[in-house]
Amino acid sequence: MVWKVTEACMESSHGWVQEYRHRWLLAILAVLLVLAVLVAAGVGAVRVPVWHLMGSVLGGESLSADQRVILFAIRLPRIVAALLVGSALSVSGLLFQGLFRNPLADPYVIGSSGGAVCGASIGVFLLPLVSVAGFSTTAILAFAGALGSITLVYWLARVDGRTPVVALLLAGFAVSTMLSYSSYFVEVLDRGFGIDMRVLASWLHGTIAQPTWPQLAIVAAMLVIGLAGSVPLARNLNTLALGEEYAAHLGLSVQQIRIAVIVIGSILTAAAVALGGLISFVGLIIPHMLRMVLGPDHVRLLPATALAGALFLLVADTVARTAIAPAELPVGVLTALIGGPFFLYLLRKTKQEVMS
Amino acid sequence: MRPLIEFMQVNFAYGENSVISELDATIFDNECIALVGPNGVGKTTLLRLATGTLTPARGSVALKSRPLDSLRQREIARSVAFVPQNVEVPFSFTVRQFVEQGRTPFLKMFGGLGAADYEAIRRAMEWTDTWRLRSRIFNQLSGGERQRVKMALGLAQQPQLLLLDEPMQHLDIGRQFEMIDLIGSLRREGIAIVASMHDLALIEGTFSSVWLMSLNEPMQQGFPEDMLRPEALENAFRCSPRHRLRLLERTRNRLERAL
Repeated sequence: MVWKVTEACMESSHGWVQEYRHRWLLAILAVLLVLAVLVAAGVGAVRVPVWHLMGSVLGGESLSADQRVILFAIRLPRIVAALLVGSALSVSGLLFQGLFRNPLADPYVIGSSGGAVCGASIGVFLLPLVSVAGFSTTAILAFAGALGSITLVYWLARVDGRTPVVALLLAGFAVSTMLSYSSYFVEVLDRGFGIDMRVLASWLHGTIAQPTWPQLAIVAAMLVIGLAGSVPLARNLNTLALGEEYAAHLGLSVQQIRIAVIVIGSILTAAAVALGGLISFVGLIIPHMLRMVLGPDHVRLLPATALAGALFLLVADTVARTAIAPAELPVGVLTALIGGPFFLYLLRKTKQEVMS
Repeated sequence: MRPLIEFMQVNFAYGENSVISELDATIFDNECIALVGPNGVGKTTLLRLATGTLTPARGSVALKSRPLDSLRQREIARSVAFVPQNVEVPFSFTVRQFVEQGRTPFLKMFGGLGAADYEAIRRAMEWTDTWRLRSRIFNQLSGGERQRVKMALGLAQQPQLLLLDEPMQHLDIGRQFEMIDLIGSLRREGIAIVASMHDLALIEGTFSSVWLMSLNEPMQQGFPEDMLRPEALENAFRCSPRHRLRLLERTRNRLERAL
């Protein structure tokens, strides 16, 4: 009798830990995110100490005019950009991994980012002054590029309803290389103007440039649309993990879910690429790390992924711009250095499947 | 006896390769049917036709007198559960998260699991003796455990009809007996069952009827004791008469009763 009661207690406490772990993690991530923003706003060529920032936020001690300009015209836009890009990349990685039922799917690896860069460069070089419903052609064409390339890779890599790792990686590699380098073509066509060359170069390296507030607003809108669209999809991705046929038997509209994931994932990829260019592996690292803590439930992973991705890229970008000051490292170089080995480790883990 | 699934003049082919032709059969509630036949005869295809995930080329399938193609898959999945042979899960879902997927046909687009869902999940897991496995990782289970967990997912759908594709595959003899006991207890609970079976000795005593499928011949239906006669099996499985003794050994129940 007694041991039965204790067992029941242990059982419920175990359940409690499981139940609330993801909430604790969200709270911790939120706190870290605030701290990271304060630190990132403070460090750089002109230091703005954290207590000055806190003071100005709380309405007490105010900042000097110089500090104010640096903060609002330079640092804050860049911080916001890093948050948006990191969040968008991680969540699109999570969605694509669910869709391909493969933890190696990342918007960079599967060519979605390459497509977005190609589309965006057409927007910047050839149609710079056109805008549709407030969204610049850059954002729209980046979306179209991402959508086109992911559809192509999906079509190429699927064999009998499955996506073998080798097929996915090869198709992604080919499409990505083709599209990101065809951006140079676009540049050649545009030689006459020549002003935006540096933009393309930084895009292909993955740099968070100095965005304007309207640009940030567009990308923020895309991120909000993407995140809102991901919420109802998360649970369906859990069901899809059982395999397409099983999921279809359980009443999932597999075709509709597939299209929805591709569209939403492309919006998020386009949002990230429009600001940051080709930043690799973020969409791979973040969902994988969180899966180790929270398990594979996409419903719990989604908010944590959005927060952790933002945090990760803000930290990476802050390191990238301060580590070798006064020079700057493209943040894409940094994520490639961290993410590359990580990717190889994952590949090794799934080697059995790769070899078959 | 009310009909659950009716096959009416059903034909099905994979490309040029005709698998099922002119099938007429009915699954009644509280029936427990063993689907027997050689490899490639279309046992899995027949089960999939009953779930609506495959549509017949000609003829029709009805669930409780309503044609399957007029029903949404969600509605079908609330009455008919299919337990596949193999499931590959790419991520490390726990057993409980896996079984929760059985509630998919009952969930609204934005709704999560409610009290009734948790009740159905718990009941399905206790039934299959998988509740104690709930925190384990599905991919790390043994073949027998995995089979029971897949059954639990099917039962979480609270189906009237459970379709089992080779439920005895990869099970050792002890786990096979457990599976037979489980099938028997589900039958007593009033769930109709259709299971494709290779081990003929396990059929009698648990199953109420046998559907014997053979290549290029109409399917035969009957009581187990009538259908598992050596002559019928020799014909369906194309065994040479010189293996008759072996065949009798595989249907040992009959042999012992005859002695």
